[in-house]
Amino acid sequence: MSPRVNDFTINIATANGTGSQSANLVILHSMYEMGVPVSGKNLFPSNISGLPTWFIIRASDAGYQAPGDYTHIQIMMNKDTWQKDLDNLDPGTVIIYNEDTKLPVDRDDCIVLGMPMTKMARKISPKMAKLMANMYYVGALAHILKIDDDAIRKAISQQFGGKEKAIEWNMQAISEGKEYAQENWEYESEYLAEAREKDPNTFLIEGNEAAALGAIYGGINMLSWYPITPSSSMAESIIAWIPKLREGEDGGATCAVVQAEDELAAAGMVLGAGWAGGRGMTCTSGPGISLMSEFIGLFYFAEVPGVIWDVNRTGPSTGLPTRTQQGDLSMLYEASHGDTQHIVLIPGTVDECFEFGWRAFDYADRFQTMVFGFGDLDLGMNRWSTAGFEYPDIPMDRGKVIRSQEQMDAIENYGRYRDVDGDGIAYRTLPGSGLDPILYRGTGHDENGIYSEDPQVYHATMKRLKKKIDGARDLLPAPVIREEKEKKIGIIFYGSMENTIVEIDDMLEETGLSISTCRVRALPYHSEVQKFIEEHEKVIVLEINRDGQLFGILRKELPVHLLSKVQSVAYSDGLPPRAKVYTNMIIDTLEGAES
Amino acid sequence: MSILKLNVIDLEKSEYKGGKSSLCPGCGHDQISNVIIQAAWENGIKPEGIAKMSGIGCSSKTPAYFLGKSHGFNTVHGRMPSVTTGANMVNKDLSFLAVSGDGDTASIGIGQFIHAIRRNLDMVYIIENNGVYGLTKGQYSATVEKGSKKKKGAANQQAPIDLCAMAVNLGCSFVAKSFSGSKKQLTALLRAAMSHKGMAIIDVISPCVTFANNDESYRSYNYVKANDEVLHIVDYIPHFSPIEAVEVPAGEFKEIKLFDGSTLRLETVGSEHNPNDPVEALRAIHEADREGRHVTGLLYYNPDMKTATETLGLTDIPLMALPDSQLRPSKESLELVNAGFRAN
Repeated sequence: MSPRVNDFTINIATANGTGSQSANLVILHSMYEMGVPVSGKNLFPSNISGLPTWFIIRASDAGYQAPGDYTHIQIMMNKDTWQKDLDNLDPGTVIIYNEDTKLPVDRDDCIVLGMPMTKMARKISPKMAKLMANMYYVGALAHILKIDDDAIRKAISQQFGGKEKAIEWNMQAISEGKEYAQENWEYESEYLAEAREKDPNTFLIEGNEAAALGAIYGGINMLSWYPITPSSSMAESIIAWIPKLREGEDGGATCAVVQAEDELAAAGMVLGAGWAGGRGMTCTSGPGISLMSEFIGLFYFAEVPGVIWDVNRTGPSTGLPTRTQQGDLSMLYEASHGDTQHIVLIPGTVDECFEFGWRAFDYADRFQTMVFGFGDLDLGMNRWSTAGFEYPDIPMDRGKVIRSQEQMDAIENYGRYRDVDGDGIAYRTLPGSGLDPILYRGTGHDENGIYSEDPQVYHATMKRLKKKIDGARDLLPAPVIREEKEKKIGIIFYGSMENTIVEIDDMLEETGLSISTCRVRALPYHSEVQKFIEEHEKVIVLEINRDGQLFGILRKELPVHLLSKVQSVAYSDGLPPRAKVYTNMIIDTLEGAES
Repeated sequence: MSILKLNVIDLEKSEYKGGKSSLCPGCGHDQISNVIIQAAWENGIKPEGIAKMSGIGCSSKTPAYFLGKSHGFNTVHGRMPSVTTGANMVNKDLSFLAVSGDGDTASIGIGQFIHAIRRNLDMVYIIENNGVYGLTKGQYSATVEKGSKKKKGAANQQAPIDLCAMAVNLGCSFVAKSFSGSKKQLTALLRAAMSHKGMAIIDVISPCVTFANNDESYRSYNYVKANDEVLHIVDYIPHFSPIEAVEVPAGEFKEIKLFDGSTLRLETVGSEHNPNDPVEALRAIHEADREGRHVTGLLYYNPDMKTATETLGLTDIPLMALPDSQLRPSKESLELVNAGFRAN
């Protein structure tokens, strides 16, 4: 029987804080090094040590990056989830388990392979046995999948950079694990990791780090933040990279970093920075956005630029703080009290995390408003492939700022909030410039920035703000459309669903359906999104949440005659999207629509 | 022909004025606004170099009534310190002059107030402290003394928060208390605060004429006048005209050198107060409190603290004025970043 080549999913069940992450990354990186198209997902608990963690590695020549709907190889290291992990497996699964747990493996219908991992690790180092035991399953997998030795060595030295002792011990553990498997297991493997020609330009990186680098190339000069999973690594990446990439002529810092007392203060600092003419940014997750909402309204109404990244985790409240979701979209779009509407940039790849990282500042300055970057834990904290980031192709856009008396004189009838160009965007002056100062305020104000409660003045201001943000639609990133000739069924989706959509598309096309897809990359949505809906017979809006939040936004803004052909498929359980779940829901929805 | 009086940078006082106040006639806050105008003018600060900051409340409305040539931001309730922090980070050359109230600072904004002090934000922070919420029609605030009674309703039963004691405990670099009715003292203290580098807090008792100016209120004009315990007589001697200085007092005095070279002279009244000692500052506050009195003067001063932007080691040019070339790293640098990831 010929083996399944580069088409399998490995699920590794361990406990948090046992050092398994190093072993898991060694497997991921060694296969990546061989050119095997591979992705990794870390499903971790909100805990420092002891609670269960699963790491899912999927190899797929088809390029599928979702966790996969089946587990082909199960690694069993965690006593606490032992029976549940076993019960979830399909017949025929390869089970590799640590015999030293002394727990039974009652699955005669599976291929059960045991190894005394802890005992063997103890021989290398009694103290480190718990950590080192994980490297034995790396050896076991290297045997079963025929992972290249050189690739493993490279992954190990990358993981333990410079620590010679650690490299030596871990390599020893891996080769002992491999030898044990060779000598003791009578199993002819059905799975094979086969080397592919690797694009030498590609590497893996987390979305949060990509967005952080983007922000640095976007000229960030004030970062305020309050730690919250899963966004903290974005701030920490900025802090780590800034001194390597930028410094003032006197060697001083060109970006102020303030760890704020809470998210309210973090948002206030971004507001202050934007008002004073700087490029301020903060990053947070849903609970932080809730706290920032009062300030977000002030950004909108006083018309101050700023950037806030929301790395979505599973809400509401504390929810599942280490799991993923697209549950904040509608909150972001209309955050704060009263009538508001905000620009939301929605990257679906790490390349876009970088690109929107710098573009966000340009949009904020251009439209004099708060701009959201919207990612999620899956994109932000898991590693994704890129061929390298592209340098910004346009100079920094600082928007309509008057910097001299000459510029001021050139404008007839200047007022801070007067729409002299007809695009809803007024000119502003900066504190310290001495040019036409005003007292910025969240209370009603007229075109000159003077306090006003006049009904007509308020109404005109709100109308202009609507026009301003509406005018951004077609200047924001356009959707990515993959169209079939036959325009029957269109799927609209966004963000990290990008990693699952190809597999969903393939599953649907196998049933004979013709599917076009449209990935929305910003709100307010681009006119091409509406065109896509107009051109397709039926449109599904696919989302990782319960209620169909983008669907709701579309229903509110689309012309009424288009509404009947748009339907929602939304599902969220905290895990990264698996193709089969969504495919089945799409089929059910389409069938329901027919009957 | 009348001779117009000009300050050291040749500006008339009118250059420092603002719009017409909409507060109640006789409000202590308006007196403070006048002192702000006077102090900024006398110190010869360029109006465009000042940023006026405030939160929400009667006091926070006042930036509309002074320094009309300065930019300002009337922010949200209790959150002015964070907005000031962000603005200060990107433009450390601005002189931040903030006005807040007791509701704004001691209740909703107490967290931001505390953290601004911890960072030693380079700003003047005036609290116009009357013990009541005015705009919402006279509820007690968190600074009002136990037993104090406003015009309507029962006496306050909760312990007060003394913002100066808190600031001293937090290591604030300049802490003073004053009274809106003591124009000379307040002007000298404010001028000194403007000459200070770092966070300067002036907690000013500013009676609310509408809701709490009855004699049973510990923050009414009559009560404060009768119970003002002056720590020392303060005189400000500007660095640009030291000779113009006030007469040398007959009794004992102490002089404090301020950051811009100006001097604050503290003339002893009763026993000497050492403003470099936080324990003395706290003793003065607690002793006055025990006797139902209000201590006023410069409570605490520490010139040797780094400001927030100094601690961060920011480059000398204000960050908002940096050229794009210093904000966006080169194309080559990105190639190196990419190459570094590929090599790993």
